Amino acid sequence: LAKKNKEEKMSNLVEEYFEAHSSSKVLTSDRTLQKLQKRRLNQETLRDLLKKAPLAYAAEIKELNQQHESLFSRWMLQLHLGFNIVLYGLGSKRDLLEKFRKSLLQDSVHLVVNGYFPSITVRSILSSITEEVLDHIGTFCSPLDQLEFITKRFKEDSSLELYVLIHNLDSQMLRGEKSQQILAQLSSLPTVYLIASIDHINAPLMWDQAKLSLYNWLWYETTTFSPYVEETSYENSLLVQQSGSLALSSLTHVLRSLTPNARGIFRLLAQYQLEKKDNPSYPGLSFQDFYQQCREAFLVNSDLTLRAQLTEFKDHKLIRTKRGADGVEYLLIPVDDSTLTNFLENQDEDV
Amino acid sequence: QKVQEDLNKQLLDNLMSFLIRPHSEFQEKTTEWTCRMKFREIPTAALVLGVNVTDHDLTFRSLSDFLQNNITPYIAFLEAKDCPGIKNLMQKLMGQLMNCYINVDSLEDEDCVQVSQNRIRCSMSSLIKWYESVTKKMDSETPSKKRTSSSTHWQSPPVVVIFKDMESFTTKVLQDFIVISSQHIHELPLVLIFGIATSPMIIHRLLPHSVSSLLCIELFQSLSCKDHLSTIIDKLLLTTQFPFKLGGKVLQVLINLFLYHDFSVQNFIKGFQLCIVEHFYSQPLSVLCCQLVDLQKRVNSLSHDQCENIRRLPSFRSYVEKQEAGKQVALLTTDNFLKEETHKLLEDLHVYHENYVSVLRCLHVFTSSLPKYPLGKQIRELHCACLENPVWETKEYESSLQLVRMLSKSDLVTMLQQCLKILLSSSGKEFDNTVEKLKEFLTQFQNLEAEAFQGKGVSVSSQKELQKKTDLYHLQKSLLELKESRQSKKLTKFEMLRFEVVDYIDNLVRKYLVPADHRTLHEILYFNTAAVLRGHLNAAPRTALHTALNNPHWYLKNQALKCDGGSISNKAPDICIVYKLHLECGRLINLVDWLEAFSTVVMAGEEPNADTASSDQMDDVIHARFIRAVSELELLGFIKPSKQKTDHVARLTWGGC
Repeated sequence: LAKKNKEEKMSNLVEEYFEAHSSSKVLTSDRTLQKLQKRRLNQETLRDLLKKAPLAYAAEIKELNQQHESLFSRWMLQLHLGFNIVLYGLGSKRDLLEKFRKSLLQDSVHLVVNGYFPSITVRSILSSITEEVLDHIGTFCSPLDQLEFITKRFKEDSSLELYVLIHNLDSQMLRGEKSQQILAQLSSLPTVYLIASIDHINAPLMWDQAKLSLYNWLWYETTTFSPYVEETSYENSLLVQQSGSLALSSLTHVLRSLTPNARGIFRLLAQYQLEKKDNPSYPGLSFQDFYQQCREAFLVNSDLTLRAQLTEFKDHKLIRTKRGADGVEYLLIPVDDSTLTNFLENQDEDV
Repeated sequence: QKVQEDLNKQLLDNLMSFLIRPHSEFQEKTTEWTCRMKFREIPTAALVLGVNVTDHDLTFRSLSDFLQNNITPYIAFLEAKDCPGIKNLMQKLMGQLMNCYINVDSLEDEDCVQVSQNRIRCSMSSLIKWYESVTKKMDSETPSKKRTSSSTHWQSPPVVVIFKDMESFTTKVLQDFIVISSQHIHELPLVLIFGIATSPMIIHRLLPHSVSSLLCIELFQSLSCKDHLSTIIDKLLLTTQFPFKLGGKVLQVLINLFLYHDFSVQNFIKGFQLCIVEHFYSQPLSVLCCQLVDLQKRVNSLSHDQCENIRRLPSFRSYVEKQEAGKQVALLTTDNFLKEETHKLLEDLHVYHENYVSVLRCLHVFTSSLPKYPLGKQIRELHCACLENPVWETKEYESSLQLVRMLSKSDLVTMLQQCLKILLSSSGKEFDNTVEKLKEFLTQFQNLEAEAFQGKGVSVSSQKELQKKTDLYHLQKSLLELKESRQSKKLTKFEMLRFEVVDYIDNLVRKYLVPADHRTLHEILYFNTAAVLRGHLNAAPRTALHTALNNPHWYLKNQALKCDGGSISNKAPDICIVYKLHLECGRLINLVDWLEAFSTVVMAGEEPNADTASSDQMDDVIHARFIRAVSELELLGFIKPSKQKTDHVARLTWGGC
């Protein structure tokens, strides 16, 4: 009976999948955040607001953490026996690992890797090992060479021990095939002890059999329910800022540092774009027209100065050029219309 | 801890030797073949190794050792991850070959310069030049040295290149390398060895005809991983050598992991290792888990606390309850008496295990040849069945005994002989009787032969009688008579004997195959917490997330969180509310609606205790909490920003999970 039940469940799952993915039409309302009468929050205010909100169930969470902390000595033993430890479960495991580090690793050489940090690379991990742990000055032509060097050193000198703590092993930067391969090889060294945490639901997909055997994981469920404060501060949320496009604050910051003429040029372009915002086939302002307009407003005196100015804008990603079908360059500001309106309003107030 | 490490080491060493043994045969074949090759094409050995990639390292290592000792000092290992392009491949190859060379004659320091050079220019021609110089040197060297002794009948020892993982190489690199080396085969005798995980078809899929025609391939099959597992179980679990034992459930978990997940012997060993670690770490009485020789000493050195621990063991308690009153008091109060008793009990346990193994093997002899294998084909299945509960209570055992009762004589005799052999080889003292009995059975069977023929004759005549009668009524009557007579008919002597044998075996089983759980003090030697093991080896992070999000009560023991599965409790942590709301959506989720739903749920929770004065402030806080929860869901991989529609996110999971 149980089997039958299970089968039914399975077929249900399959049906659910196709139900979710079959209809290309999605029924959701057309409301957007723009229409919501509320200002967008930026990172700082968000953090402040969250600080005000009390953390629910603090006592229970603390109890959970204490449970996990009782495992510390067991972890140490298992690390020394050649296993590596991976933590999974809901909630940030950062504090837990920090506590582990503080309570047990104080005297030994250890390396903390913040995987959630967006600019972390395997290379930087490896070089911090070679430079700070092994005291080796010098460069390597590839991470593989570097790894080879590290392996050799660790094999030669068995007294060399290193604890590596990786927060979020499954983060954007480290989830690549190559970085995982390198980390796996690193962790397979007998005197390198690795403790890592994963969060993403599909994190185990990163590892094939060979890597799994190199990692030699022991899984520990450590559900902490604590909020991902550090981890999500780098996650560009939809509600905070649109990733890729410019925010109002950065726009004003950049423009404030420019000459009045340059500001005028940008303003001209923005105004023109807003006038044409209802026209969906608007390709942007062609360079020639723009030059003409700028000349009329006494903003530039030559073709060259305008071009130099535009290059500067381009470097700051304030404008984008596009070549039309007729080969003419068109200029566009890659910012939402609403941000642009806001910007113009602010400018008027300033002036 | 020290004991444990010793034990660990002992186990691993043992395992290694078992792993290597089956390989060695296969290696010899390969090496023989390498010697035989005369080079017109590139000789290639394709080793079909099976999908358990993780176990191959050992095979290759021993293979290279073997080759190194017998044939050639020049062996290079190439792994796909080191060779993204042909240049890297050549570099790696040269580096390794030269290193190999230096390893072999490490006495001479003259070649150290060479190594540092090799990074700079690595082309085939420089490789050949190097090879020539080496061989020349070798020829000129005195034949007293070991390495040159092999080169005397090998004027030019072959250079062996081992591709560890054929499947993961890029085809371009592999093809290029083969074409290049085939052109230099006269100057540089290369031998390639491919390690193949899937099937030999892959060679033809990776290499076009023009390239594969340059190779002279011979296939070698390695032992299947299942055979490895059986040898390991046979030598590791079914011996008396190691005091540490696995409980039935744990063994089941390990075997399931092996059979249903990865076929990797290495992982099986890892699991076993973990069992040992866990056992010695968590069980305070595991000190007593040692060889019989050390037992006396350790029992004597037990402290009072440890004695208390013994008293607390469930199996010991039930043992005490069965004793008479005076002894009970002594056991529970005086430590010294307890120690004596413990020693006796542990010795019993060891003896029990010895007997267990040999009787298990006997039973296996009987059951493994039955049709449909009611108790399993492999001895490990039988072992599991015996460990879990009394085997004679199971239906399978019943049916297999039925089948044994119907065995023919010759089968029965051979089985008995096998059993005899097993019992003789076992060291247990209690089997003298059994052996005698079995011998007696055998002689009786030999005597029986003549009588069996007679029995047949009788039955034939009765059938003839049956054929004479043609009348329906008479026929019926006679049939009935015949039936009655058959029921009451005396069993032939052979059948009697057969029943006797079966009963005897049955008794044996009942006596010796009592599951370990029923023995006193089994906790000391057996590791039985399967849940821990499964959690650590075969974890399910998604399930953990699912329960945490759906049912936070599981983790946070708060009364307020208790609710039914479907509904959304407004007191749950933010992320749980957001998650539940997202479960109700389709593939795309509108952020605004989501936010509104969230704030409705949260406000319903807040209202009783919060005043509405600062509703605007409240709104902002809720908004912020929502943002945090959504970005956490994004981090966890449940949703991702979508470009299809403004302010929408796409769900990456489906259904309720």
